[in-house]
Amino acid sequence: MANTVEILKPQKTWSHLAGRRKRPSEYEIVSTNLHFSTDNPDAPFELDPDFDMARWFKQYRNSSPITHPDWNSFRDPDEIVYRTYNLLQDGQETYVFGLFSQFADRGHDAMLSADWVATLAKVYSPCRYLFHGMQMMSAYLCQMAPASTISNCATYQTADSLRWLTHTAYRTKELSKSFPDLGLGSDERNVWESDPQWQGLRELVERALVVWDWAECFIVLNLVLKPIAEECTIHALGEAARRNNDTLLGLLADAQMADAARHRRWAIALARMAVEQPGNREQFARVIETWGTLAGGAADVYCMGLPDADRASVRAKRVLRELHVACGL
Amino acid sequence: MTVMDRSEWYDIARDTNWSPSFVREQEMFPPQMTGGFGLAREKWVGYDEPYKTSYPEYVRIQREKDAAAYSVKAALERNKLFETADAGWLSILKQHYGAIALGEYAAMSAEARMARFGLASGMRNMATFGMMDENRHTQLQLYFPHEHCNKDRQFDWAHKAYHTNEWAAIAARHTFDDLFLSRDATSIAVMLTFAFETGFTNMQFLGLAADAAEVGDYTFSSLISSIQTDESRHAQIGGPALQILVESGKKEEAEKLVYIGIARAWRLFSVLTGPAMDYYTPLSHRKQSFKEFMLEWIVGQFERSLIELGLDLPWYWEKMIAEFEYQHHAYHLGVWFWRPTVWWNPAAGMSPDDRDWLEEKYPGWNDTFGKCWDVIIDNVLAGRHEKTLPETLPIVCNMSQLPICAIPGNGWNVKDYPKEFEGRTYHFNSEIDRWIFETDPARYRGHMTIVDRLLAGHIQPPDLSGALKYMNLSPGECGDDAHKFAWAEAYRANPYAKKAA
Repeated sequence: MANTVEILKPQKTWSHLAGRRKRPSEYEIVSTNLHFSTDNPDAPFELDPDFDMARWFKQYRNSSPITHPDWNSFRDPDEIVYRTYNLLQDGQETYVFGLFSQFADRGHDAMLSADWVATLAKVYSPCRYLFHGMQMMSAYLCQMAPASTISNCATYQTADSLRWLTHTAYRTKELSKSFPDLGLGSDERNVWESDPQWQGLRELVERALVVWDWAECFIVLNLVLKPIAEECTIHALGEAARRNNDTLLGLLADAQMADAARHRRWAIALARMAVEQPGNREQFARVIETWGTLAGGAADVYCMGLPDADRASVRAKRVLRELHVACGL
Repeated sequence: MTVMDRSEWYDIARDTNWSPSFVREQEMFPPQMTGGFGLAREKWVGYDEPYKTSYPEYVRIQREKDAAAYSVKAALERNKLFETADAGWLSILKQHYGAIALGEYAAMSAEARMARFGLASGMRNMATFGMMDENRHTQLQLYFPHEHCNKDRQFDWAHKAYHTNEWAAIAARHTFDDLFLSRDATSIAVMLTFAFETGFTNMQFLGLAADAAEVGDYTFSSLISSIQTDESRHAQIGGPALQILVESGKKEEAEKLVYIGIARAWRLFSVLTGPAMDYYTPLSHRKQSFKEFMLEWIVGQFERSLIELGLDLPWYWEKMIAEFEYQHHAYHLGVWFWRPTVWWNPAAGMSPDDRDWLEEKYPGWNDTFGKCWDVIIDNVLAGRHEKTLPETLPIVCNMSQLPICAIPGNGWNVKDYPKEFEGRTYHFNSEIDRWIFETDPARYRGHMTIVDRLLAGHIQPPDLSGALKYMNLSPGECGDDAHKFAWAEAYRANPYAKKAA
């Protein structure tokens, strides 16, 4: 009998997706199984297995206490790809900059009370440090996550954080034109570093920035820090703004919360997938408990300084709990 | 519309550094991840990215660019390029996508390192757009080749290559892991964005875009021109970083990173782009030789940008320029001979007209590389195909992961550059490769080349069949001569005679 060698035939899609009956979506074609540094657990890089950066990845990614046999099976529930991200966010930015323009044409800022703008200089314009912290942490998560479908969500989240930071910088400058004596555009660092109202959130950001284990970083960032901070500094502040004749900030908050809601959708999906694995639920609970107290305290002190925002902190903590329930925790 | 100009608020958006007090500064920016040779963070305050953009501009422009690239693809979907293009061109596409798509994804991780650990806030914002750009480049360069999967199994390697131990994939990983994926943020700014993107991706992308337009592959041409517009923006992250390093007395340290970057990029390009430009691209479509391209882009333009930044030329500059004459010819000969071990079909590029062109561009080619091809041609014409194929693996350089090779025939200069380190002998293709190892042996010492693995028994059976299995290459994927040796027939009646000088 002749020795027959199988000749591989062309397939409809990448070989790693070809075994399934379902036709792969554009999202799957361009997003799945793209990290190659996860292929050899003993040597993340095609270099010495134990030089400093290899050890960093072996410790903080490969040896995470939170494990899953196949992180690559994670799918973003929104199936965002680069192309659709820009379609989505260009539309959103057209809307937001349309708001900026219309409200400027109507002389919006000049109609705000000086008291309210002085409040904004304390509670709003320093947000750019908070958002930049989220940007840096999301970028860390992107480079450390063990699956490209997780890294991609973190990439778009990094860009969204820069989006919020950009809105804040824009409004800070614009408000400073109507109210040049309130330190807008110049005092934010000082407020962020020293004002008691911010110290809880700043502590949360600084401590979270040095969480190196990738999974713990994900939990702290996406299941604690971001949601609690968003509820206080975007949602509750937006509500307070509406009560102070600042319709623009209320609408801007709504627009930013649409990004936050998308971040929570992928975070819930990843958490649910993770906690199905034995042992992970306890790890998630431990991290959330450890950080929850700090986060709750940060929400309390920040919201205390928000005018017309009764029970904002209570609400923020409730939203956080509901998020954890949605994660299956 | 009453919208403020970007210049009014841009500086506020990049004023995001603060002094931590709940953790130490060194904890938040650990030197292992930030790099920067111990320069204080205050030194980075003057960092000023020359190309400025903002989030709303970014998403608008990128949406428009994507709309253009995808619509060209959609419009040309039904054209018969795949059926009508020269086989050499299809090989270029397969090689390019396999070697580049997931490398772009690694570049996203590297940009993310700068976005987190960059010491200047402007760098962190620009790197955020850089992350997005590299995410785009990965997705485009997976989506475009994917449509060819159902016609040719080798296109599967656009996604698969980096996940295998195929030798070119090992070489690409070793290079890119070293150039950026495993580097600190400051080194990435210098090595990825300055050394690699300013210098080399220009060549891969502009050169290939021109070739693609020449052969009528407008989809690929518009795709990679579009990618290049992103590259030339985020490549500018490195320049101001170098400026700060030089001004702060770290010139020598910064230069070393640039030199390693250029040397590593040169090697990889000489194995991938060199054969593509001088052999795979059909002769009638070749505009410039690889050497001419290197002289114009690397020696001409890039040398100028080095000097503008106050950097000296690398110590090996003349040696590298000398290699432009031969290194890629040697690699091409090797890739063609070891063709079952690659995921594309190498085009020999060896018609009599091709040889005349090679002799014109590289005087002496016929007396050196030509002599090897003479033997190959004799064997092909006599039907001795087995003699044109390898039985085992060549000696591989411990740095480039590519065969140790140089000029054969009358100009013979093949030489090993060995190095003893901690009881192990390492082999290098040149003084340059050995020098890179010596700059930081800890990064490289424990790595095994594919030949080291063969000798250590990781590849079984220890012959070509075992090697192919180890490389995850099966029949249907393994490369073969792109034109099924049709080019050799020209020599049956008329043995090659060198044109009179």
